[in-house]
Amino acid sequence: MTDEFRQKVLKLAGSEVQTCIQCGTCSASCPTASLMNPSIRKLIKLCLEGRKDEALNNDTLWLCTSCLLCTVRCPRSIRPKAVVSALKELAEQQGIRGGGPSYEQLFLEQIRDYGRIAELPLSGKFLLVFPQGIVQSMQMGLELAQRGKIGLEIVSIKGQDEVKRIIEELSK
Amino acid sequence: MKLAYYPGCVSQSTGKEMDKSTRSVCSALGIELEELEDWNCCGATHVSSELVAVGLAARNMVQTERPIMTSCSICYSNLRFASLRLEEPDIREKVNAVLDKKYSKATIRHALDVILEALDENDERIVVPLTNLKVAPYYGCLLTRPTGIYSPEFPTILEKLIKTLHADALEFRLKTACCGGPIFMSQEEAANDVAFRILREAKKAGAEVIVRVCPLCHIMLDAKQRALEQKFGEKIEIPVLYVTQLAGIALGLGPEELGLEMNSVSPMAMMEKVYERMTGEI
Repeated sequence: MTDEFRQKVLKLAGSEVQTCIQCGTCSASCPTASLMNPSIRKLIKLCLEGRKDEALNNDTLWLCTSCLLCTVRCPRSIRPKAVVSALKELAEQQGIRGGGPSYEQLFLEQIRDYGRIAELPLSGKFLLVFPQGIVQSMQMGLELAQRGKIGLEIVSIKGQDEVKRIIEELSK
Repeated sequence: MKLAYYPGCVSQSTGKEMDKSTRSVCSALGIELEELEDWNCCGATHVSSELVAVGLAARNMVQTERPIMTSCSICYSNLRFASLRLEEPDIREKVNAVLDKKYSKATIRHALDVILEALDENDERIVVPLTNLKVAPYYGCLLTRPTGIYSPEFPTILEKLIKTLHADALEFRLKTACCGGPIFMSQEEAANDVAFRILREAKKAGAEVIVRVCPLCHIMLDAKQRALEQKFGEKIEIPVLYVTQLAGIALGLGPEELGLEMNSVSPMAMMEKVYERMTGEI
Protein backbone atom coordinates (compact mmCIF):
# COMPACT_ATOMS: atom_id res chain seq x y z
CA MET A 1 0.00 0.00 0.00
CA THR A 2 2.68 2.49 0.99
CA ASP A 3 4.80 1.37 -1.95
CA GLU A 4 1.88 1.86 -4.30
CA PHE A 5 1.64 5.50 -3.25
CA ARG A 6 5.38 6.00 -3.66
CA GLN A 7 5.25 4.51 -7.16
CA LYS A 8 2.34 6.74 -8.15
CA VAL A 9 4.27 9.84 -7.13
CA LEU A 10 7.39 8.67 -8.96
CA LYS A 11 5.38 7.95 -12.07
CA LEU A 12 3.80 11.40 -12.08
CA ALA A 13 6.77 13.48 -10.91
CA GLY A 14 9.68 11.54 -12.39
CA SER A 15 11.78 8.64 -11.10
CA GLU A 16 14.67 11.00 -10.35
CA VAL A 17 12.79 12.00 -7.19
CA GLN A 18 14.37 8.88 -5.66
CA THR A 19 17.78 10.50 -5.91
CA CYS A 20 16.87 13.28 -3.45
CA ILE A 21 19.72 13.95 -1.02
CA GLN A 22 17.55 16.02 1.35
CA CYS A 23 19.84 19.04 0.99
CA GLY A 24 16.96 21.49 1.50
CA THR A 25 17.78 23.79 -1.43
CA CYS A 26 14.13 23.57 -2.47
CA SER A 27 12.85 24.70 0.93
CA ALA A 28 15.46 27.45 1.13
CA SER A 29 14.32 28.78 -2.26
CA CYS A 30 10.58 28.66 -1.60
CA PRO A 31 8.79 32.03 -1.26
CA THR A 32 6.17 30.60 1.10
CA ALA A 33 8.45 28.21 3.01
CA SER A 34 7.93 30.02 6.30
CA LEU A 35 4.25 29.07 6.21
CA MET A 36 4.77 25.45 5.25
CA ASN A 37 4.69 22.45 7.50
CA PRO A 38 5.95 20.02 6.24
CA SER A 39 8.52 21.85 4.16
CA ILE A 40 9.04 20.91 0.52
CA ARG A 41 12.15 18.93 1.48
CA LYS A 42 10.19 17.01 4.09
CA LEU A 43 7.31 16.48 1.66
CA ILE A 44 9.66 14.67 -0.72
CA LYS A 45 10.91 12.52 2.14
CA LEU A 46 7.32 11.62 3.09
CA CYS A 47 6.64 10.52 -0.48
CA LEU A 48 9.76 8.39 -0.65
CA GLU A 49 8.86 6.77 2.64
CA GLY A 50 5.36 6.09 1.37
CA ARG A 51 3.74 8.15 4.15
CA LYS A 52 0.66 8.88 2.10
CA ASP A 53 -1.64 10.48 4.68
CA GLU A 54 0.96 12.99 5.82
CA ALA A 55 1.98 13.75 2.25
CA LEU A 56 -1.58 14.44 1.10
CA ASN A 57 -3.17 16.07 4.15
CA ASN A 58 -1.35 19.35 4.59
CA ASP A 59 -1.45 23.00 3.57
CA THR A 60 1.96 22.83 1.95
CA LEU A 61 0.54 21.63 -1.37
CA TRP A 62 -1.84 24.58 -1.54
CA LEU A 63 0.77 27.15 -0.50
CA CYS A 64 2.94 26.40 -3.55
CA THR A 65 2.90 29.39 -5.91
CA SER A 66 4.33 27.37 -8.83
CA CYS A 67 7.26 29.79 -9.03
CA LEU A 68 9.56 26.93 -10.09
CA LEU A 69 12.60 28.23 -8.19
CA CYS A 70 12.98 24.87 -6.39
CA THR A 71 12.97 23.21 -9.78
CA VAL A 72 15.54 25.60 -11.21
CA ARG A 73 17.90 25.07 -8.29
CA CYS A 74 17.66 21.38 -7.36
CA PRO A 75 21.21 19.96 -7.59
CA ARG A 76 19.78 16.52 -8.47
CA SER A 77 17.60 17.88 -11.28
CA ILE A 78 14.49 16.78 -9.45
CA ARG A 79 11.38 18.86 -10.07
CA PRO A 80 9.97 19.46 -6.58
CA LYS A 81 7.13 21.46 -8.14
CA ALA A 82 6.20 18.31 -10.08
CA VAL A 83 6.02 16.43 -6.77
CA VAL A 84 3.61 19.06 -5.47
CA SER A 85 1.55 18.79 -8.67
CA ALA A 86 1.46 15.01 -8.36
CA LEU A 87 0.29 15.20 -4.75
CA LYS A 88 -2.36 17.80 -5.59
CA GLU A 89 -3.64 15.56 -8.34
CA LEU A 90 -3.81 12.57 -6.00
CA ALA A 91 -5.42 14.65 -3.25
CA GLU A 92 -8.05 15.96 -5.67
CA GLN A 93 -8.81 12.45 -6.90
CA GLN A 94 -9.44 11.38 -3.34
CA GLY A 95 -11.42 14.47 -2.44
CA ILE A 96 -8.92 15.48 0.25
CA ARG A 97 -9.10 19.12 1.15
CA GLY A 98 -11.44 20.43 3.79
CA GLY A 99 -14.91 21.76 3.02
CA GLY A 100 -15.21 21.46 -0.75
CA PRO A 101 -13.45 21.44 -4.06
CA SER A 102 -10.14 23.25 -4.34
CA TYR A 103 -9.70 26.45 -6.34
CA GLU A 104 -7.61 24.37 -8.71
CA GLN A 105 -10.50 21.97 -9.33
CA LEU A 106 -12.98 24.74 -10.01
CA PHE A 107 -10.46 26.29 -12.37
CA LEU A 108 -10.11 23.07 -14.32
CA GLU A 109 -13.88 22.54 -14.40
CA GLN A 110 -14.29 25.93 -16.02
CA ILE A 111 -11.70 25.12 -18.67
CA ARG A 112 -13.44 21.78 -19.24
CA ASP A 113 -16.84 23.43 -19.66
CA TYR A 114 -15.86 26.56 -21.61
CA GLY A 115 -12.23 26.30 -22.75
CA ARG A 116 -11.23 29.58 -21.17
CA ILE A 117 -11.26 31.28 -17.78
CA ALA A 118 -13.43 34.24 -16.81
CA GLU A 119 -12.65 35.55 -13.34
CA LEU A 120 -16.08 36.55 -12.12
CA PRO A 121 -17.91 33.22 -12.49
CA LEU A 122 -14.82 31.41 -11.18
CA SER A 123 -14.45 33.62 -8.11
CA GLY A 124 -18.17 33.39 -7.43
CA LYS A 125 -18.04 29.60 -7.37
CA PHE A 126 -14.96 29.61 -5.20
CA LEU A 127 -16.56 31.91 -2.64
CA LEU A 128 -19.47 29.53 -2.25
CA VAL A 129 -17.08 26.97 -0.81
CA PHE A 130 -14.66 29.47 0.74
CA PRO A 131 -16.70 32.39 2.13
CA GLN A 132 -13.70 33.65 4.15
CA GLY A 133 -12.38 35.18 0.95
CA ILE A 134 -15.37 37.47 0.46
CA VAL A 135 -13.86 40.71 1.80
CA GLN A 136 -10.75 40.63 -0.32
CA SER A 137 -12.73 39.48 -3.35
CA MET A 138 -15.26 42.31 -3.06
CA GLN A 139 -12.45 44.82 -2.68
CA MET A 140 -10.60 43.44 -5.68
CA GLY A 141 -13.79 43.02 -7.73
CA LEU A 142 -14.75 46.66 -7.23
CA GLU A 143 -11.29 47.85 -8.16
CA LEU A 144 -11.22 45.77 -11.33
CA ALA A 145 -14.83 46.59 -12.26
CA GLN A 146 -14.10 50.33 -12.05
CA ARG A 147 -11.35 49.81 -14.62
CA GLY A 148 -13.58 47.74 -16.88
CA LYS A 149 -11.46 44.67 -16.27
CA ILE A 150 -13.91 42.03 -15.13
CA GLY A 151 -14.66 39.16 -17.46
CA LEU A 152 -18.40 38.76 -16.92
CA GLU A 153 -19.42 36.34 -19.57
CA ILE A 154 -17.96 33.08 -20.65
CA VAL A 155 -18.58 31.81 -24.12
CA SER A 156 -17.51 28.32 -25.03
CA ILE A 157 -14.81 28.01 -27.64
CA LYS A 158 -15.48 26.00 -30.77
CA GLY A 159 -13.11 23.22 -29.81
CA GLN A 160 -14.81 22.65 -26.47
CA ASP A 161 -15.26 18.93 -27.05
CA GLU A 162 -11.58 18.55 -27.77
CA VAL A 163 -10.64 20.46 -24.61
CA LYS A 164 -12.97 18.30 -22.58
CA ARG A 165 -11.43 15.19 -24.07
CA ILE A 166 -7.89 16.44 -23.30
CA ILE A 167 -8.81 16.94 -19.65
CA GLU A 168 -10.74 13.72 -19.21
CA GLU A 169 -8.41 11.41 -21.09
CA LEU A 170 -5.13 12.82 -19.79
CA SER A 171 -6.17 12.83 -16.16
CA LYS A 172 -6.90 9.11 -16.19
CA MET B 1 7.27 40.03 -39.70
CA LYS B 2 4.12 38.06 -39.01
CA LEU B 3 3.61 36.11 -35.79
CA ALA B 4 0.81 34.06 -34.32
CA TYR B 5 -0.54 35.79 -31.22
CA TYR B 6 -1.78 33.99 -28.13
CA PRO B 7 -3.61 36.59 -26.00
CA GLY B 8 -4.46 34.29 -23.06
CA CYS B 9 -7.57 34.47 -20.87
CA VAL B 10 -6.53 37.58 -18.94
CA SER B 11 -6.60 39.56 -22.19
CA GLN B 12 -10.38 39.54 -21.84
CA SER B 13 -10.50 40.59 -18.21
CA THR B 14 -7.87 41.64 -15.68
CA GLY B 15 -5.18 42.04 -18.32
CA LYS B 16 -7.06 44.03 -20.97
CA GLU B 17 -4.36 46.70 -20.94
CA MET B 18 -1.73 44.03 -21.58
CA ASP B 19 -3.53 42.92 -24.72
CA LYS B 20 -4.27 46.46 -25.87
CA SER B 21 -0.70 47.68 -25.44
CA THR B 22 0.72 44.54 -27.03
CA ARG B 23 -1.35 45.02 -30.17
CA SER B 24 -0.57 48.76 -30.33
CA VAL B 25 3.17 48.37 -29.83
CA CYS B 26 3.46 45.55 -32.36
CA SER B 27 1.50 47.57 -34.88
CA ALA B 28 3.79 50.58 -34.29
CA LEU B 29 6.81 48.37 -34.84
CA GLY B 30 5.46 46.81 -38.01
CA ILE B 31 4.97 43.39 -36.47
CA GLU B 32 1.84 41.75 -37.77
CA LEU B 33 -0.08 39.61 -35.29
CA GLU B 34 -2.48 36.88 -36.28
CA GLU B 35 -4.58 35.76 -33.33
CA LEU B 36 -4.44 32.01 -32.72
CA GLU B 37 -7.54 30.28 -34.00
CA ASP B 38 -9.98 29.24 -31.26
CA TRP B 39 -7.33 29.28 -28.50
CA ASN B 40 -7.99 27.80 -25.07
CA CYS B 41 -6.69 28.46 -21.54
CA CYS B 42 -3.08 27.28 -21.05
CA GLY B 43 -3.95 26.02 -17.57
CA ALA B 44 -2.11 28.88 -15.87
CA THR B 45 -0.66 27.80 -12.53
CA HIS B 46 -3.83 26.07 -11.46
CA VAL B 47 -3.99 22.78 -13.27
CA SER B 48 -2.64 20.16 -10.90
CA SER B 49 -2.05 17.41 -13.46
CA GLU B 50 1.07 18.11 -15.51
CA LEU B 51 -0.09 15.94 -18.37
CA VAL B 52 -3.41 17.78 -18.64
CA ALA B 53 -1.55 21.11 -18.59
CA VAL B 54 0.73 19.91 -21.39
CA GLY B 55 -2.31 18.76 -23.38
CA LEU B 56 -4.06 22.12 -22.99
CA ALA B 57 -0.94 23.99 -24.10
CA ALA B 58 -0.43 21.61 -27.01
CA ARG B 59 -3.92 22.27 -28.38
CA ASN B 60 -2.93 25.92 -28.72
CA MET B 61 0.40 25.17 -30.30
CA VAL B 62 -1.07 23.03 -33.09
CA GLN B 63 -3.28 25.88 -34.34
CA THR B 64 -0.45 27.48 -36.34
CA GLU B 65 2.81 26.90 -38.17
CA ARG B 66 4.14 30.34 -37.22
CA PRO B 67 6.15 31.23 -34.10
CA ILE B 68 3.67 32.01 -31.31
CA MET B 69 4.03 35.24 -29.37
CA THR B 70 2.40 35.99 -26.03
CA SER B 71 2.70 38.87 -23.57
CA CYS B 72 1.73 36.83 -20.54
CA SER B 73 4.68 35.23 -18.79
CA ILE B 74 2.46 32.48 -17.39
CA CYS B 75 1.21 31.46 -20.84
CA TYR B 76 4.79 31.82 -22.10
CA SER B 77 6.16 29.52 -19.40
CA ASN B 78 3.40 26.96 -19.86
CA LEU B 79 3.72 26.79 -23.63
CA ARG B 80 7.51 26.51 -23.37
CA PHE B 81 7.24 23.90 -20.63
CA ALA B 82 4.82 21.89 -22.75
CA SER B 83 7.03 22.10 -25.83
CA LEU B 84 9.95 20.74 -23.74
CA ARG B 85 7.86 17.91 -22.27
CA LEU B 86 6.52 17.04 -25.71
CA GLU B 87 10.05 16.18 -26.80
CA GLU B 88 9.63 13.03 -24.70
CA PRO B 89 8.15 10.35 -26.98
CA ASP B 90 5.74 8.79 -24.47
CA ILE B 91 4.31 12.16 -23.49
CA ARG B 92 3.96 13.20 -27.10
CA GLU B 93 2.21 9.96 -27.92
CA LYS B 94 -0.29 10.31 -25.08
CA VAL B 95 -1.05 13.94 -25.94
CA ASN B 96 -1.29 13.40 -29.68
CA ALA B 97 -3.74 10.58 -29.07
CA VAL B 98 -6.33 13.08 -27.79
CA LEU B 99 -5.61 16.05 -30.09
CA ASP B 100 -7.48 16.71 -33.34
CA LYS B 101 -4.34 18.03 -35.07
CA LYS B 102 -1.07 16.35 -34.13
CA TYR B 103 1.72 18.26 -32.42
CA SER B 104 5.14 18.23 -34.07
CA LYS B 105 6.99 21.36 -32.96
CA ALA B 106 6.47 24.95 -31.90
CA THR B 107 8.45 28.14 -31.32
CA ILE B 108 7.27 30.24 -28.41
CA ARG B 109 8.26 33.88 -28.02
CA HIS B 110 7.58 36.54 -25.44
CA ALA B 111 6.60 40.05 -26.59
CA LEU B 112 9.59 41.41 -24.69
CA ASP B 113 12.07 39.62 -26.91
CA VAL B 114 10.06 40.41 -30.05
CA ILE B 115 10.14 44.14 -29.18
CA LEU B 116 13.85 44.08 -28.46
CA GLU B 117 14.52 42.40 -31.77
CA ALA B 118 12.66 45.18 -33.57
CA LEU B 119 14.04 48.13 -31.61
CA ASP B 120 17.39 49.57 -30.58
CA GLU B 121 18.18 52.74 -28.67
CA ASN B 122 18.98 54.75 -31.79
CA ASP B 123 15.67 53.91 -33.41
CA GLU B 124 13.89 57.02 -34.62
CA ARG B 125 10.56 55.58 -33.59
CA ILE B 126 11.53 56.27 -29.94
CA VAL B 127 10.01 59.75 -29.94
CA VAL B 128 9.63 60.02 -26.16
CA PRO B 129 12.96 58.88 -24.70
CA LEU B 130 12.44 58.00 -21.04
CA THR B 131 15.58 59.83 -19.96
CA ASN B 132 16.34 59.68 -16.21
CA LEU B 133 13.19 57.68 -15.47
CA LYS B 134 14.03 55.30 -12.63
CA VAL B 135 12.55 51.94 -13.50
CA ALA B 136 12.53 48.87 -11.26
CA PRO B 137 12.74 45.76 -13.47
CA TYR B 138 10.51 43.07 -11.99
CA TYR B 139 10.64 39.67 -13.64
CA GLY B 140 8.62 37.62 -11.23
CA CYS B 141 8.99 33.89 -11.71
CA LEU B 142 7.86 32.53 -15.00
CA LEU B 143 9.48 34.57 -17.77
CA THR B 144 12.76 32.81 -17.01
CA ARG B 145 11.49 29.41 -15.90
CA PRO B 146 11.72 26.68 -17.01
CA THR B 147 15.36 27.38 -17.83
CA GLY B 148 16.84 27.60 -21.29
CA ILE B 149 16.15 31.14 -22.50
CA TYR B 150 17.16 33.65 -19.82
CA SER B 151 19.14 33.16 -16.63
CA PRO B 152 16.60 32.20 -13.97
CA GLU B 153 18.79 33.63 -11.21
CA PHE B 154 20.00 36.87 -12.73
CA PRO B 155 18.18 37.76 -15.94
CA THR B 156 19.01 41.09 -17.62
CA ILE B 157 16.64 41.33 -20.59
CA LEU B 158 14.27 43.76 -18.85
CA GLU B 159 17.22 46.01 -18.06
CA LYS B 160 18.12 45.84 -21.74
CA LEU B 161 14.65 47.02 -22.72
CA ILE B 162 14.71 49.79 -20.10
CA LYS B 163 18.05 51.06 -21.44
CA THR B 164 16.85 50.81 -25.01
CA LEU B 165 14.05 53.19 -24.06
CA HIS B 166 16.71 55.55 -22.57
CA ALA B 167 15.51 55.03 -18.97
CA ASP B 168 17.57 54.04 -15.92
CA ALA B 169 17.31 50.42 -14.78
CA LEU B 170 17.51 50.28 -10.99
CA GLU B 171 19.27 47.52 -9.17
CA PHE B 172 16.29 45.72 -7.81
CA ARG B 173 17.14 43.07 -5.26
CA LEU B 174 13.80 41.28 -5.43
CA LYS B 175 13.53 41.29 -9.21
CA THR B 176 13.00 37.53 -9.46
CA ALA B 177 11.06 37.09 -6.21
CA CYS B 178 7.56 35.59 -6.39
CA CYS B 179 4.61 38.00 -5.88
CA GLY B 180 2.32 35.35 -4.36
CA GLY B 181 -0.25 35.83 -7.11
CA PRO B 182 -1.22 32.22 -7.80
CA ILE B 183 -2.41 31.71 -4.21
CA PHE B 184 -4.05 35.07 -3.56
CA MET B 185 -7.58 33.69 -3.63
CA SER B 186 -6.97 30.69 -1.42
CA GLN B 187 -4.08 31.85 0.80
CA GLU B 188 -4.68 35.57 1.05
CA GLU B 189 -2.40 36.45 3.98
CA ALA B 190 0.60 34.61 2.59
CA ALA B 191 0.19 36.26 -0.80
CA ASN B 192 -0.20 39.75 0.68
CA ASP B 193 3.00 39.42 2.68
CA VAL B 194 5.19 38.49 -0.27
CA ALA B 195 3.61 41.10 -2.57
CA PHE B 196 4.09 43.93 -0.11
CA ARG B 197 7.74 43.04 0.44
CA ILE B 198 8.31 43.64 -3.29
CA LEU B 199 6.49 46.98 -3.31
CA ARG B 200 8.38 48.16 -0.23
CA GLU B 201 11.68 47.16 -1.80
CA ALA B 202 10.87 49.05 -5.01
CA LYS B 203 10.06 52.13 -2.93
CA LYS B 204 13.36 51.79 -1.09
CA ALA B 205 15.24 51.48 -4.39
CA GLY B 206 13.75 54.83 -5.49
CA ALA B 207 11.56 53.48 -8.29
CA GLU B 208 9.34 55.90 -10.20
CA VAL B 209 7.75 52.97 -11.96
CA ILE B 210 7.86 49.17 -11.81
CA VAL B 211 7.90 47.33 -15.11
CA ARG B 212 6.83 43.70 -15.36
CA VAL B 213 5.64 40.92 -17.64
CA CYS B 214 3.04 38.93 -15.74
CA PRO B 215 -0.69 39.67 -15.36
CA LEU B 216 -0.85 38.00 -11.97
CA CYS B 217 2.01 40.16 -10.68
CA HIS B 218 0.00 43.04 -12.09
CA ILE B 219 -2.98 42.17 -9.90
CA MET B 220 -0.80 41.84 -6.83
CA LEU B 221 1.32 44.96 -7.33
CA ASP B 222 -1.10 47.29 -9.11
CA ALA B 223 -4.74 46.34 -8.47
CA LYS B 224 -4.01 45.45 -4.85
CA GLN B 225 -1.55 48.26 -4.16
CA ARG B 226 -4.12 50.51 -2.42
CA ALA B 227 -5.46 47.67 -0.28
CA LEU B 228 -1.92 46.62 0.66
CA GLU B 229 -0.99 50.21 1.57
CA GLN B 230 -3.97 50.28 3.91
CA LYS B 231 -3.25 46.91 5.40
CA PHE B 232 0.40 47.61 6.10
CA GLY B 233 -0.04 51.33 6.88
CA GLU B 234 2.60 52.48 4.40
CA LYS B 235 2.30 54.63 1.30
CA ILE B 236 3.80 53.16 -1.89
CA GLU B 237 2.22 55.06 -4.84
CA ILE B 238 4.31 53.56 -7.61
CA PRO B 239 2.73 52.88 -11.01
CA VAL B 240 3.22 49.36 -12.32
CA LEU B 241 3.38 48.97 -16.10
CA TYR B 242 3.51 46.10 -18.54
CA VAL B 243 6.65 46.12 -20.70
CA THR B 244 4.42 46.82 -23.67
CA GLN B 245 2.95 49.89 -21.93
CA LEU B 246 6.40 51.29 -21.10
CA ALA B 247 7.68 50.64 -24.62
CA GLY B 248 4.49 52.19 -26.02
CA ILE B 249 5.00 55.41 -24.05
CA ALA B 250 8.50 55.72 -25.51
CA LEU B 251 7.09 55.07 -28.98
CA GLY B 252 4.76 58.02 -28.48
CA LEU B 253 1.56 55.99 -28.28
CA GLY B 254 -1.33 57.52 -26.34
CA PRO B 255 -2.95 56.45 -23.05
CA GLU B 256 -5.95 55.06 -24.93
CA GLU B 257 -3.85 52.82 -27.18
CA LEU B 258 -1.90 51.53 -24.19
CA GLY B 259 -4.85 51.09 -21.85
CA LEU B 260 -3.15 53.33 -19.28
CA GLU B 261 -6.46 54.38 -17.76
CA MET B 262 -6.99 50.73 -16.78
CA ASN B 263 -4.04 50.73 -14.40
CA SER B 264 -5.12 51.10 -10.78
CA VAL B 265 -2.17 53.28 -9.82
CA SER B 266 -2.25 56.02 -12.42
CA PRO B 267 0.96 56.49 -14.38
CA MET B 268 -0.07 60.02 -15.45
CA ALA B 269 2.11 61.88 -12.91
CA MET B 270 5.08 59.77 -14.00
CA MET B 271 4.33 60.54 -17.66
CA GLU B 272 4.20 64.27 -16.94
CA LYS B 273 7.68 64.02 -15.47
CA VAL B 274 8.87 62.18 -18.57
CA TYR B 275 7.49 64.93 -20.83
CA GLU B 276 8.91 67.70 -18.63
CA ARG B 277 12.35 66.13 -18.70
CA MET B 278 12.11 65.72 -22.45
CA THR B 279 11.27 69.36 -23.02
CA GLY B 280 14.06 70.39 -20.64
CA GLU B 281 11.86 71.82 -17.92
CA ILE B 282 13.68 69.85 -15.23
